[in-house]
Amino acid sequence: MVVSRGLRDAGMEVIFGGFQNVEQIVESAISEDVDVIGLSMHSGAHLVYTERVINLLKEKGVKDHFLILVGGVIPVMDFPTLKKMGVANVYGPGTVVADVVNFIVENTKK
Amino acid sequence: MKRNYDIDVLIEKFKKKDKIALARLITLVENNPETTTNIFNNFDSSENDSYIIGITGSPGVGKSTLVNALSKILLENGKSIGIISVDPTSPFTGGAFLGDRVRMTDISLHSNIFIRSLASRGYKGGISRAVFDITLLYEAFGMDLIIIETVGVGQSEFDIYNLAYTTVVIMVPGYGDSIQIQKAGIIEVGDIYVVNKKDLGGEDIVVQMEMMLDDATVQSGWRAPVVMTNSITGEGVDTLIEKIMDHKEHLELSELLKEKKKHRFAYKIEELLSSKIGKVLESLISEDDLNKISNSVLQGKKFKIYDMVHDLFSNVKFEMKKSD
Repeated sequence: MVVSRGLRDAGMEVIFGGFQNVEQIVESAISEDVDVIGLSMHSGAHLVYTERVINLLKEKGVKDHFLILVGGVIPVMDFPTLKKMGVANVYGPGTVVADVVNFIVENTKK
Repeated sequence: MKRNYDIDVLIEKFKKKDKIALARLITLVENNPETTTNIFNNFDSSENDSYIIGITGSPGVGKSTLVNALSKILLENGKSIGIISVDPTSPFTGGAFLGDRVRMTDISLHSNIFIRSLASRGYKGGISRAVFDITLLYEAFGMDLIIIETVGVGQSEFDIYNLAYTTVVIMVPGYGDSIQIQKAGIIEVGDIYVVNKKDLGGEDIVVQMEMMLDDATVQSGWRAPVVMTNSITGEGVDTLIEKIMDHKEHLELSELLKEKKKHRFAYKIEELLSSKIGKVLESLISEDDLNKISNSVLQGKKFKIYDMVHDLFSNVKFEMKKSD
């Protein structure tokens, strides 16, 4: 929520998904034709969940069309694994919203 | 990382009912309006006319939840639905928080539904410039129904009721007294009124609404009904659908539907004309000319303001009356 508001305050349009399952996340990303998919997880299941989302994106042939960011309660040791899956950047607790904004702006330049 | 926005490729896929193509064409008409005519040139006749329903009301009354509840039933009845949810753009940051999808998780995966969230992007009245274009895309895609959900209803000419055939206005208990309702202008705009969150009461609003609607002159022969609902439990939603269908039938039988359809395009034509005329003006009159007038006004010439503006056109070849 905090990140969503920060992104909006930086001039971005944010689709807030709330609690969505893997299929709903992918469906939203596709029908809203977003530039960035942000997964926020506090459950400890980030590896499993992220993998499922990425696999479904691959199945639909759209995985490379989105900038994928993961944030929340993520242990640093899992960062490399997530990046290998195709996540562009990972944000643990204490992340400064401005960093997320800058990363997005840098990486979505047309 | 590059997505394909090639119009020809997208149109081909779109015609095969590919939702990814629909999503990308929507992005194009919203962000690159110069491509819109190109895109529309691929649809030379529409075999499909969607029925357009507008859902409006103040923030927090339960519009999205109601759209979700309505859609569930309509989907069960075999309808395909294109939803457009508009939320306001922050006038300070240009950003927007589009949170309507969150209430529609029940229906978002159904194959006969497509949901798109839009930010108003400075457009007045609650919708956005692209909404009109998206309704055309949804029609070309074959949607039976289009539901446009937006905040606010008032007397702006840009309001949802210019686009929708049936406009539903939603209120909740504690909304205010009859004077507030009159002030807000909503008594003239709705085809159907809903008092949502009925678990919290609201009978008093219904009574006031019924009285005001009885008093209001009804030229079209349609007296707007007031329906009580609970969008979370689904109570009253069946009745709401019934009333929407009743209104649709009324429009069809009274030939008013044709008028509404014409109006949907008439208001857009006016808007496009204003924009064209604005461009003509820009080419005829410079910033300098305007600055001269502003400065003169501050230097004791404020009573000359009508003459000064009129004189800008003294070299222009067409007749412009002072009262224009």
